[in-house]
Amino acid sequence: MPTKDGKLTEADRKVLVAAMDRLIPAVDDLPGAGSMDLAPEAERIARRIPRFHLALIKALDALSLDMSAHAYGGFRALPGEEQDAALKGVEHALPSVFAQFLELVYIVYYSDERVHNRIGWRSGPLQPAGFELEPFDESILETTRKREPFWRRVPTSTNEHPQQTR
Amino acid sequence: MTENQEPTDILVIGAGASGAAAAWRLAQGGFRVVCLEQGRWHRPEDYPATKPDWQLRARDEWSFDPNVRQKPEDYPVNDSASDITPLMFNAVGGSTIHWTAHTPRFHPSDFRVRSLDGVAADWPLAYEDLEPYYDLNDESMGCSGIAGDPANPERKKRPMPPLPLGPDGTRMAQAFDRLGWHWWPSDSYINSTSYRGRAACNNCGPNGLGCARKAKGSTDVTYWPEAMELGVEVRTRCRVSEITTDESGSVTGAAYFDRDGNQQHQSARAVVVACNGVGTPRMLLHSTSDRHPSGLANSSGMVGKNLMFHPYAMVTGIFHEQMHTYRGALGNILMCQEFYETNPKRDFVRGYAYQMNRSTGPVATAMGFAMPGVIWGQQHHDEFAERFGKSVLLAVIAEDLPELHNEVALDKKLRDSHGIPAPLIRYKTSSNSRKMLDHGIRNARKVLEEAGAHTVAANPLLRPGGWHLMGTARMGEDPATSVVDEWGQAHDADNLFVVDGSVFVTAAAVNPTPTIQALALRTADYIRERRPDLKA
Repeated sequence: MPTKDGKLTEADRKVLVAAMDRLIPAVDDLPGAGSMDLAPEAERIARRIPRFHLALIKALDALSLDMSAHAYGGFRALPGEEQDAALKGVEHALPSVFAQFLELVYIVYYSDERVHNRIGWRSGPLQPAGFELEPFDESILETTRKREPFWRRVPTSTNEHPQQTR
Repeated sequence: MTENQEPTDILVIGAGASGAAAAWRLAQGGFRVVCLEQGRWHRPEDYPATKPDWQLRARDEWSFDPNVRQKPEDYPVNDSASDITPLMFNAVGGSTIHWTAHTPRFHPSDFRVRSLDGVAADWPLAYEDLEPYYDLNDESMGCSGIAGDPANPERKKRPMPPLPLGPDGTRMAQAFDRLGWHWWPSDSYINSTSYRGRAACNNCGPNGLGCARKAKGSTDVTYWPEAMELGVEVRTRCRVSEITTDESGSVTGAAYFDRDGNQQHQSARAVVVACNGVGTPRMLLHSTSDRHPSGLANSSGMVGKNLMFHPYAMVTGIFHEQMHTYRGALGNILMCQEFYETNPKRDFVRGYAYQMNRSTGPVATAMGFAMPGVIWGQQHHDEFAERFGKSVLLAVIAEDLPELHNEVALDKKLRDSHGIPAPLIRYKTSSNSRKMLDHGIRNARKVLEEAGAHTVAANPLLRPGGWHLMGTARMGEDPATSVVDEWGQAHDADNLFVVDGSVFVTAAAVNPTPTIQALALRTADYIRERRPDLKA
């Protein structure tokens, strides 16, 4: 459980790693998000952005307070399916907290270069490289260009009646 | 409070879309102009797209929502009683730094909704009155687009050709064609070629986060440099607390907090308010005096009333084919106006448009902007792969109609960092809007499926979708039912002008900024031509 001043204990960090592994599990040659050593980055972002800090503390708090988990040695000692059940319990009980906790995990995972390489995303800043800007091909307008104007005409004086050129 | 500034002819409050246009045009006419802006200058080279952690920045310090950003230049907004969250950016350039720069025009019919459809009110001006100012604004901001759209009146050639549709836009265009529905490439204030010393867009994607290449027409790189060349002084990190008046009720200037927190006063012959559809009524309501006991320019009681957003429904289609839908401008692909006008066979009045949007990178894909996020757990990677680069979004942008109960008021408890009451938003989506959005969702589903989407998901009302803030100091001929006249001049004080979206009588079903800027330019010309008394 986090300390009163909101800092994570070593036990918290281990729970965070285990939770991240369940949220985003291993795929291809990448381990789960926690085992990719992304928890320190999540903690660093949370220290900087209050809403993430609050969500992280509360989520870990909730996972630590799960009595069934305690009975078997804590969240980390639970089998994977039961860890998922514990996470779902937090998601159900604290939906807003869980949503922001999950957002934090997604941010650190999908900002990582190893993940970018796997999904085919060019890592790093978007600028200055960008992507090619091809010229507009007017031939695609052929169908629409054949259509008569259909915007709704408006009387220029109060004696005229509106018409729609449809 | 210190009066240590030289009096000026015109004091512009707010350096965003409309304040910039008005200041530039007034300076061209030889007026001395000072602009007070609570935000600061941003350097394009520091925008998120130049940073490796741009995806995080987009969700925090560059959020559209001031309540998320919580920067010193932001003021809090109490939106707990609103269906829609108002969005804005406080800086030189204002929300044009943040916008997607999608720039359709109002239709002629949008100015005559009472006459044509028996709802709301007619504007005190017509499309033809604004047309030369639309054209002027297109030149100044830099418009990419193409002539020949059958859904809109003919107009001058755009300065640049359209942005490309891309594989995703092409697919959608062909689907619209097969259904026999209108579509047209979006008008955009994004350079498709180099223009006036600014580079062409290089398709990087999230143009809602500022443009490091200055390819997007935000007013900090369009109007402001020219205005400052003409002598306009932009005073940043200066937050106006109230507009001041004399015993006769005429405006004398504005009291403000400077960057060091000191109270100052700037005297002016006239004040032009350009603080957006939330900030402007907030300021007017807070500027009380013996002559204006319920707020400045509020003898009608209409300041803050008739708040309009554009209610958005978001319909996402997911395709089998990889189309790299994170490449290219976010919301500047194509627009459909097949359902724009009133059709008596439908169960709602007025209409809506579709604006095609793309996605913006892996984090946004995982979070699911307009549909639930990618599921966590064992199915996560499969679902992410199914969406990434393969999703297209149709935004249903519905015409909102003015209703008195939708309003901006002053919050009794919440205050900004200078102790000024925060705006309180009361807004409920109307049944007319709801029917319109539902119609739009059904048809969006048709066209996305026609385009080959295997999955279509709808968000029936985008809560964080209050980009367009309108109607809260509306124009009209009757001082009993409106705040300003057709020139943006307050009925209650002839040296007070409003030039932002507050003056809108109705909202149309298009992005409002070109209309806001055209109105600001027209007001500036009115002052130039008919108010020589406001020049020293």
